Amino acid sequence: MAAPCRRMASWSLPRFLSCFGGTAVGSTGFRQFSRTAVCRVTLQTKSMTDKPSSPWTLMAAVCLQRLPVISADLSPIEQQFGHVMHQMELEKSVLSDHELQLLEDAERMSRKQAGDYDSDEEGKDEEIMLAQDLEDSWEQKLKSFQPAHRVRADVDQDVTSVQRCLADSLVLLAEQQVGSQKLWLLPQTQWQEGETLQQTAERALTTLQAAGFKATFLGNTPCGVYKYKLPKAIRTEGSVGTKVFFFKAILSDCGPPATPDTPFLWLKKSELQHYLKPAYLMKVDHFILDF
Amino acid sequence: MSLALSHCFCRMLFRQTAPSSFLPREHHHIVLSPWFAPVMTLKTSAPLRAEPKKKKKADPRRELQLRERLKKRLKKLEKVPSQFIPIEDFITPAKCLDETRERSTPKLSFEESEGRALLLKEWSRYKKKQHMAEVQAIELALKAQREALEELKLESEELYQAALMQDPLLFPFTHEGPAYTPPKTDYEAPDGKFNDITKVYTQ
Repeated sequence: MAAPCRRMASWSLPRFLSCFGGTAVGSTGFRQFSRTAVCRVTLQTKSMTDKPSSPWTLMAAVCLQRLPVISADLSPIEQQFGHVMHQMELEKSVLSDHELQLLEDAERMSRKQAGDYDSDEEGKDEEIMLAQDLEDSWEQKLKSFQPAHRVRADVDQDVTSVQRCLADSLVLLAEQQVGSQKLWLLPQTQWQEGETLQQTAERALTTLQAAGFKATFLGNTPCGVYKYKLPKAIRTEGSVGTKVFFFKAILSDCGPPATPDTPFLWLKKSELQHYLKPAYLMKVDHFILDF
Repeated sequence: MSLALSHCFCRMLFRQTAPSSFLPREHHHIVLSPWFAPVMTLKTSAPLRAEPKKKKKADPRRELQLRERLKKRLKKLEKVPSQFIPIEDFITPAKCLDETRERSTPKLSFEESEGRALLLKEWSRYKKKQHMAEVQAIELALKAQREALEELKLESEELYQAALMQDPLLFPFTHEGPAYTPPKTDYEAPDGKFNDITKVYTQ
């Protein structure tokens, strides 16, 4: 009874593992081994190292976020309130030096034009630079500086560019082979023996993405988990399903511009629903913070 | 045997502790204990001869120490208590209290002031909603994390312990916050020379 079961398990494992993109080099070695004796030895040793061998396959995924680059537009009430606050502060304030100078200059100009003006009363070195002229020169300098545009509609439409929607935080999605389908999900990879889940997530970021993303991982703790059971046809004693642990990271450097064949997207939280499966989205939505 | 021993012992003791019995023969025994100064030697003791005290080597050191302590105490009394460093933000500069600087503000109409009061209330309601939404989002995120840790614990204990450990490379963590306009790739900032005129106080 035991022997045929183990053989079945050894057959189903390679098939199961081949479904998962084949990036985990160590585990695909099973396929190369011939069946019976050698397989059983490897399985036995595996069961000896993981004493309670869990039926769940472990994977780690990375939730890479590009934080906003520019401040968001003010909502109508925020604009109104800002305006009123500015007015109130102006009313409660006192005149500044610059304003006093403006008033004095205006007075002097009016006295000059009045007619009974005695130029000897005032010092001759006070009329070099009027405050108004200073203001005008400052405005000229400001106009000569052209800041970059805040909103660029064409870049916003391009879902693969990192520069889109600079006022919101974006999440990276990659298209990966899971089971028999190609799905859009957060970049994930299988866990290997001898590394922490955090290192698995880092590996997921570097190997599955050809572009060089420099990210800072926020701690060793996973921020969320998604587990799914395999359909009953493939389910065996050794593998009931998969648990995917998510790790948060913040993008620090974009790296070289992406080549067009890289299958990944940068999406806002509101756009995720169009690309992710509902059950997956429900779990992922919790820990992606928009503010 | 024991009696003889005890006799010898007693004799030894008496010899040591009874100088008064040797009174008539004192001029033979010059070394006497100071507690039993006999009458004949009273006139010749040191304090009566008015000799200066014999100074041991430790005395000058002790005197110096005394002098230093007195000096320190004097200095402490003479010292003026140090002034506190003024916090410049809390002191209204005299320039601002000048009467010539007052702004001539037009009086607000009744509708205007009412409108402002209503706007303030509206704003507080808006901010409260925002805050509650933020708190809820954070609660959800924490719940998700707790779930993840529980699942990991069910999986393997060592991975769970590894997940709980602190990451020493994470801090210090810096990130440039959002500005009003995005950064220009080919912009050369002008040289910003400035003279630092902040006042530095020393106590």
